[in-house]
Amino acid sequence: MIRSFFLAYGLFVLALVGFAEYRGWSMNRIDEVRDVPKSVRDNPGSYRSVYSSYHHYTGGK
Amino acid sequence: MSTSGPAPAGAPQVKSLNCPGCGATLTVRSFGNAVTVICESCHSVLDAQDPALRILQQFHASTDEDPPLIPLGSRGSIRGVLYEAIGFQRRTIQVEGISYSWHEYVLFNPTKGFRYLTEYDGHWNDVSILRALPELSAGGATLKYLGETYRHFQTVDAATAFVLGEFPWQIRVGEIARVSDFISPPRVISSEGSGEEVTWSIGEYIAGRDIWKTFKLQGEAPAPIGVYENQPSPMSSNVKKVWALTGVFLIALLAVAVGAYWMESDEQVFEQTFEFNTGAGGEGSFVTDVFQLKGRTSDVELTTNASVDNDWIYLNYALIDQDTGHAYDFGREVSYYHGYDSDGSWSEGGTTNTVTIPSVPPGNYYLRIEPESDPNRGLVRYAVTVKRDVPQASFFGLAALALLLPAGLMTWRSLNFEHLRWAESDYGSAPSDGSLLSTVESITDTFKGSEDGE
Repeated sequence: MIRSFFLAYGLFVLALVGFAEYRGWSMNRIDEVRDVPKSVRDNPGSYRSVYSSYHHYTGGK
Repeated sequence: MSTSGPAPAGAPQVKSLNCPGCGATLTVRSFGNAVTVICESCHSVLDAQDPALRILQQFHASTDEDPPLIPLGSRGSIRGVLYEAIGFQRRTIQVEGISYSWHEYVLFNPTKGFRYLTEYDGHWNDVSILRALPELSAGGATLKYLGETYRHFQTVDAATAFVLGEFPWQIRVGEIARVSDFISPPRVISSEGSGEEVTWSIGEYIAGRDIWKTFKLQGEAPAPIGVYENQPSPMSSNVKKVWALTGVFLIALLAVAVGAYWMESDEQVFEQTFEFNTGAGGEGSFVTDVFQLKGRTSDVELTTNASVDNDWIYLNYALIDQDTGHAYDFGREVSYYHGYDSDGSWSEGGTTNTVTIPSVPPGNYYLRIEPESDPNRGLVRYAVTVKRDVPQASFFGLAALALLLPAGLMTWRSLNFEHLRWAESDYGSAPSDGSLLSTVESITDTFKGSEDGE
């Protein structure tokens, strides 16, 4: 019983990692934006990044 | 004296006698085989070999205090042989001032003879007398029997506290015997003796529900409490199988990783170095040249390498498909700080940052980059590199952990089971037998011991 379960579990993990590699999954958080106007290429300042209000770390020890 | 009528073939014969102490009727089920019979009414221990049933001992006790779970006279099959429960005793040991008791049942079959059942906290053993002497090691830590090694578990002085029914030896309440148990789950070999005479027996763990079923007892068998000395671990056999499968899966994972690194293109599609003048002011965003992402939908890895030194640069990125207008928006900070203080030298961060954009369809893309930094910093150089279809080592690491998790959990449970088992022994922890589990357990115990000592 446990052997069958682990066999299925192991095959699932292998299939998952294979599929993730094939499809190019990532663990990074990336926002997707649809229908960005073509004018951005000529006027980059017209695009507002999701992260433009990010508060930057200015530290050090 | 009268017989109770014809008995079925293979079933014990039953005879009735009268107690010389109180006159109560005694039922003797193993007539001719019993050495001692106990009167249930007056608790006289009688010599069954004497026609006059000489009284050997009388003791004061109430049968109701600790009634046998298997009523005397009950019949059930053990290993295909019909036995009748004819005797019952409670035995007690003292460990660190605490009394522990277990029960023993004498079973009888006219052709097969005697057999025994023991019960402690819901744990049952089917016990028979050994016909050959086991081979005891020099130190007495192990013994061998029929090629199997048994490890010494505990030696105790057990006192007979209560008796009922018939026994094939001269039993007395209060008599003390030295009992040593050697285990190889699910079996246990016990030596029992007082003075010169030593009796060896072998027991095998048996589920209470099987006892209940074969003796047709009312209700359900009491649930076992704790871990018994020869209770088979539900994990130990599975642990080896699961570790073997884990090994196979890890090899398969390695093959998948090699395949991924071999098949995935890991192609560099863009590389350029930029300069950002932090004090220039105005609009800092710009776009790169268009580059092509080929092949199937797969990941894109973007690496930023910046010449920061006790400083930072933040880059708002957008990877934009110029044909569909679909953009991937993200920000990355590159910061590197270092110095020296009373603790010595220190550093944090680095000059490189890598991000992986998942599942990007093929197409013609460009980057919109908007750098930010300390306005007083001046000129910051940074290089941006874009690669297509890059293998993700982190997935293989996580998959390896996921594959190791069940085997690790099962090993932990198995170790915990063995720890509970051996905690009740004379040793407190399992002696090493050279196996992997034993080695891990001894390391764990050493670690625990050092923690306790702190």
